[in-house]
Amino acid sequence: MKNKIRVHRAIHEITQEDLAAAVRVSRQTILAIEKGKYIPSLDLAFRIANYFRVPLEELFIYEEVNED
Amino acid sequence: MNRNTYYIFTGIIALILVGILWWSIEIGNPLPIEIAFVLGVVLIYLIRSRISSIIEDERYSRITEKAAVRTLEVFWVIFFASSIGAFVTSLDKHPFPPPIPRGPAGGFPIRMFGLVQLILLCTMIFLYVGFRIYYSRKYGEWDTDEE
Repeated sequence: MKNKIRVHRAIHEITQEDLAAAVRVSRQTILAIEKGKYIPSLDLAFRIANYFRVPLEELFIYEEVNED
Repeated sequence: MNRNTYYIFTGIIALILVGILWWSIEIGNPLPIEIAFVLGVVLIYLIRSRISSIIEDERYSRITEKAAVRTLEVFWVIFFASSIGAFVTSLDKHPFPPPIPRGPAGGFPIRMFGLVQLILLCTMIFLYVGFRIYYSRKYGEWDTDEE
């Protein structure tokens, strides 16, 4: 799963810490999502998309991967 | 309370528990360490609930969940194997040909079961820590930032 969180953070000029606080997760989780090491739950993905006021598919690009 | 204070408190509680364990061995009574251990764990959970910074989000839960499941998958095999061994020993059947008598000290002393349980418990903890480190690395726990 690819995502454009870093791009949207840059557009909105906010830090990982700010975004993490806004969506109620740790900064490390935002970092892991940005790096593609962690795929967020649907709930968290919607919270991030709502924060940036963009559709989910604008923020996350689905790619089939072998989980585990 | 921040996370470092929590780790300091946990370390202090662990040291106190080691002291009580030593005292229990000295007086030959297991009750003090048993009670202290339960109280210590409750205290750690209480202190943990007072940490103000967010440490338990869904990624953290995922790491915990994966590490716990893998630990269980490996540990039940070890536990089952050792339990079968203990069961076979408890049957006390004499093999053919009968073994050479080793005197009254032969056989598995009952007091060794505590030690075996401790070894199994330590194995479980080591397995959990190992899997936890593996999944923490996988889910970017110690990744550094370019910001």
